[in-house]
Amino acid sequence: MPGPIDYSKITITPDFDTVEWWMATKEHKYLVRQCKDCGHKWFPPFPACNKCNAMDLGWFETAGTGVLHSYIVVTQPILGAFVEAVPYVVGLIELDDCHEADGSLVRVGGVMLDDEEDVAIGLPVKVEFEQTNEANIVVPRWKISGTAENTWKFNE
Amino acid sequence: MGALTDKYCIVGVGETPHMRPSNRTTLSMACEAVKKAMADAGLEPRDIDGMTSYQAGDSTTSNHIATSLGMRLNYSVDILGGGSSTEALIGNTIGLLEAGYCKTMLIFRSMNGRSGRRMGGQAPSGPVPPTRAAEDNQFMMPWGWTSPAQRFGMSAMRYLRDTGTTTRSLAEIAVAHRYHASLNPKAVMRHPITIEDHQNSRWVVKPLRLLDCCLETDVSACLIVTSRERAYDLRQPPVFIMGGTGRTMAPNAAWNYSRPEIHYVAGNYGRKRLFGMAGISQKDVNLISCYDAFTFTTLIQLEAYGFCGKGEAGEFVKGGRLQIDHELPSNLSGGHLSEGYTHGVSMVIENVRQLRHRADDACPGWAEGKHSYDRQAGCRQVKDARIAACLGWGTETMSSSAILRGIAA
Repeated sequence: MPGPIDYSKITITPDFDTVEWWMATKEHKYLVRQCKDCGHKWFPPFPACNKCNAMDLGWFETAGTGVLHSYIVVTQPILGAFVEAVPYVVGLIELDDCHEADGSLVRVGGVMLDDEEDVAIGLPVKVEFEQTNEANIVVPRWKISGTAENTWKFNE
Repeated sequence: MGALTDKYCIVGVGETPHMRPSNRTTLSMACEAVKKAMADAGLEPRDIDGMTSYQAGDSTTSNHIATSLGMRLNYSVDILGGGSSTEALIGNTIGLLEAGYCKTMLIFRSMNGRSGRRMGGQAPSGPVPPTRAAEDNQFMMPWGWTSPAQRFGMSAMRYLRDTGTTTRSLAEIAVAHRYHASLNPKAVMRHPITIEDHQNSRWVVKPLRLLDCCLETDVSACLIVTSRERAYDLRQPPVFIMGGTGRTMAPNAAWNYSRPEIHYVAGNYGRKRLFGMAGISQKDVNLISCYDAFTFTTLIQLEAYGFCGKGEAGEFVKGGRLQIDHELPSNLSGGHLSEGYTHGVSMVIENVRQLRHRADDACPGWAEGKHSYDRQAGCRQVKDARIAACLGWGTETMSSSAILRGIAA
């Protein structure tokens, strides 16, 4: 579990391409962009489909589950918001329901609620949503949700 | 070979000391570096009619330098960019010279990289609040994932998992580059280190330790490019540009993390272009500069540019292979890890000096190309240095490169 994160020291500025994503986190939804023409999914929400170039886009509500693909353990804070949070784990999560037939996939980052000792590549994870000091900003975070075979842990 | 191979040359190099802090403006430092590069080449301000630079909103611009030094430029463009910009701008410069936009062109970077704006949003005195999490940073900064060490650490961790490489291989790179810094009077960190010193240094962000990270410094550095016809008459042996690439991308360049392999870096997409244009193979290369923002960025680019096979870099670097007098000397100045951080210019500068046979070391006759090759006596000139590969790094998904050839060895 990371120490307290002082979100008052981060000003998140949603924009034309991202405001709906941040609105959805308030409703505890983890969205990715989806092309209305070809169905392709991606994240972050770049404003065109990189498969068919359509710009008529929607959102896909993911299950908020995935597999830990990689992680880092931050021991030296860089941002003021995280001074009290160290050490904390940032995970790279491969979302379960964004795999496409041609191998396309979606990975997203996020703070892990788990301690370093409990984290390993290959473990299943699930999203949780964290209220911040700003009423309009809810930040998704992630937690190990089960066990798996052939996991890998950094151990040096 | 490329149509313009060997047609343009690097004829002048110069830099300020690496300072921590400089207590100077980026303009003041840049003027010093430019004057040194002109003196090195034997050129006057009136001889320079093109200038270009890169920065991250943290630097002076070409028009200020031109005004300070009494130049009137026929071409001047300052771009946004960080690591890998040097080699990319060498490519731009060749095109501009070929097209006749100008005749002799200067490339510079000036940064108070330690006392001013630091990478990842950190203030000189320590952690501070960033102003805004905007654009892509909306999906990194709010989860405390901002600095280059934190970003590249994610790929490094997966690489260790996928290949079975250990951090002792990262240590090999830190040790090799530090050894070279010990032979470089300009380097910030000159005491040699061991594998164990690396392993015992503190964590910055796992899997990277303090000795995996480069030295942020205040510095300006520059180089001058002109045609080979003009180069003949100048002060130094010319260094010919054989080929290169400019910010070549991997797919999905603005979001590395949804690519199948997050450590299959951009150099893999530039490799064939680089060596094809230069008309040589990796075996012809005598020395390299391999961008060492972190030990990992050097390690992974050895694979990307084909100096070893995929997944083999961890074994490849063992036994001091990257050290001078070994198979593939890397970052002879000490690199960003141990000489100081310049966003890449200093690595190209060092290769130029090596290819001139004029590494500025402890040898009394270095300026005339006289070297002892006695490492105990502080000589860092590579014997028979003829071809150098400059392997720049921007991110996992952006890379630039250049191959240079000297005639003085």
